[in-house]
Amino acid sequence: MNRLTRTAIWIGGAALLAATAIDTLAVIGRHIGLPITGSIELMQAAVLLSGALALVISSLDDAHARVKLVVDRLSPRMRGIVDRVSDGASLLFVAALLAGSGWIAFDLRGGHEQSELLGVPWWLLRAIANACLLAIVLILGWRIVRRRA
Amino acid sequence: MLYDTPATGLIGIALLLLLLLGGGRIGAVLGLVGLAGLALVLGPEAALIKGGVVVVDTLTRYELGTLPLFLFMAHIFFSIDASRDLFDAAAKMLGHRRGGLAYASIAGCAGFGTINGSSLATTATVGLVAFPEMQKRGYDDRLATGTIAAGGTLGQMIPPSGALIVFGIIAETSIGKLFTAAIIPGITQALFYAAVIFILVRLNPALAPAGERAPWADRLKALGRIWEIVALVLLVIGGISMGWISPAEAAAVGAAGALLIASLRRKLTRAALFHAFHETLRTSGLIYLIIIGALIFSAFVSVTGLADAAGALVTGMGLGTFWTLVLTALLLLLLGSVLDGLALMLLMTPILLPIVEATGMSAIWFGIFITRAMEIGFVHPPLGMNLYIMQGVAKNVSIERIFRGVMPFLASDFAHLLLLILFPAMAMWLPEVLGN
Repeated sequence: MNRLTRTAIWIGGAALLAATAIDTLAVIGRHIGLPITGSIELMQAAVLLSGALALVISSLDDAHARVKLVVDRLSPRMRGIVDRVSDGASLLFVAALLAGSGWIAFDLRGGHEQSELLGVPWWLLRAIANACLLAIVLILGWRIVRRRA
Repeated sequence: MLYDTPATGLIGIALLLLLLLGGGRIGAVLGLVGLAGLALVLGPEAALIKGGVVVVDTLTRYELGTLPLFLFMAHIFFSIDASRDLFDAAAKMLGHRRGGLAYASIAGCAGFGTINGSSLATTATVGLVAFPEMQKRGYDDRLATGTIAAGGTLGQMIPPSGALIVFGIIAETSIGKLFTAAIIPGITQALFYAAVIFILVRLNPALAPAGERAPWADRLKALGRIWEIVALVLLVIGGISMGWISPAEAAAVGAAGALLIASLRRKLTRAALFHAFHETLRTSGLIYLIIIGALIFSAFVSVTGLADAAGALVTGMGLGTFWTLVLTALLLLLLGSVLDGLALMLLMTPILLPIVEATGMSAIWFGIFITRAMEIGFVHPPLGMNLYIMQGVAKNVSIERIFRGVMPFLASDFAHLLLLILFPAMAMWLPEVLGN
């Protein structure tokens, strides 16, 4: 496993720990009369970071679920073709998501979009999501090129 | 618009099935067909914007935080060998009875189901612990493998269940209510399996010889190793059911508790934590992509009016509630033999939910029903993933013998599904009583 993947896992893991801590403290705080203001907004940020990195990591590990009932019965050559088509379809889908999400981010660039209570900047959350989508496009593109080689 | 007709929706579903069976990634194929369909019906710009909205909305959805945190809790528990402890405690309590280890396997699966939401993980982890023990005690390999493969499906039903979280997101239904509604079906399912074992062993005592009775000191020691896990699970599931905490908060409390238990047992090493992070992120990434794809596909089905047309068609047939639900179950079981459980749920929910709701059943009931149908798909061929997982554990047992072993449990699954149709209160009573 390369250093970049390990770093992504540690950052995603730190986001998971942050989400765990935020909501646990929010529950304790609520029950002892010290509610944490904006805990849901903080959770949203932590969940976005861990979720976006989770998408990257599952793409790196090629862990996305597939129905292999037919594919497993194909010849190795045919299976190779099917795998490339599957990578191509995934790339097309993620690229479309990136285009849509990028479009929205571009449209809202001057809107100072932020969360209500804590002012968490939404442009940053959108930038993280888009960066991760771009990373997945690159991973899938690289995989298609490598399979062809 | 020219293309906003149910026929477009049907063509989309046919194309989706073709691409899924052709080996496309489930999430990507759902999303791609959904985007193409939306582009056709609403135009490319609207389709792209919808995709962009769904991806950020999904990733920032507070309730979806439930999923990675419950997965994180499960992976921390994997690192402390919780499945071994749970099975061991059940085996010490029941192992001296004829078929005792088979009952213990079901109890172990149910117990492990409370700390993880996956059928495959439950089958694999409990299988690794329980199968060698049953083999050592001279249990029939068909009974041993069939019990664990069927028991593994409890992981999907007993809360916290990954399938129910995903259903809650797709159907925009309360995950807390779904978890509460799953408690009685989960328990009765386990009791049905216990009844199957009882009957099989009664008919042929040689299938599962009785073992030695463990002294009470050993039993108490085994129970002592699981009490913190049981307490945490009761807090998490009880907290949701009683409405003290939301499912997302319960997941966070569960993960924090698991971290605490692991550190008290001195097993929370840097390597174990990294492994838990990696596995959690890998699995949640897989599920996120499927959810994003399914939400886009669901939007496409909705704009074509297919669900309404299917609902009107079924209502027009005048089948009545019972036969409509039986027909729905048959369709799910048929599709479940060629489609992965999650794909089945995500593909069929937007179409079947309005039909089921038109019969007077609620989305909560349907969530339990479709999850139960999904579970059956895990143990019936040709897909039957649990059977193959079990074969990976019991390498010396052929897949045919494992299938024969699971047959009696499969029959009990069908009976249980029928009961769920006949007595919807099995799912709906507890959420109503607890008022959540």
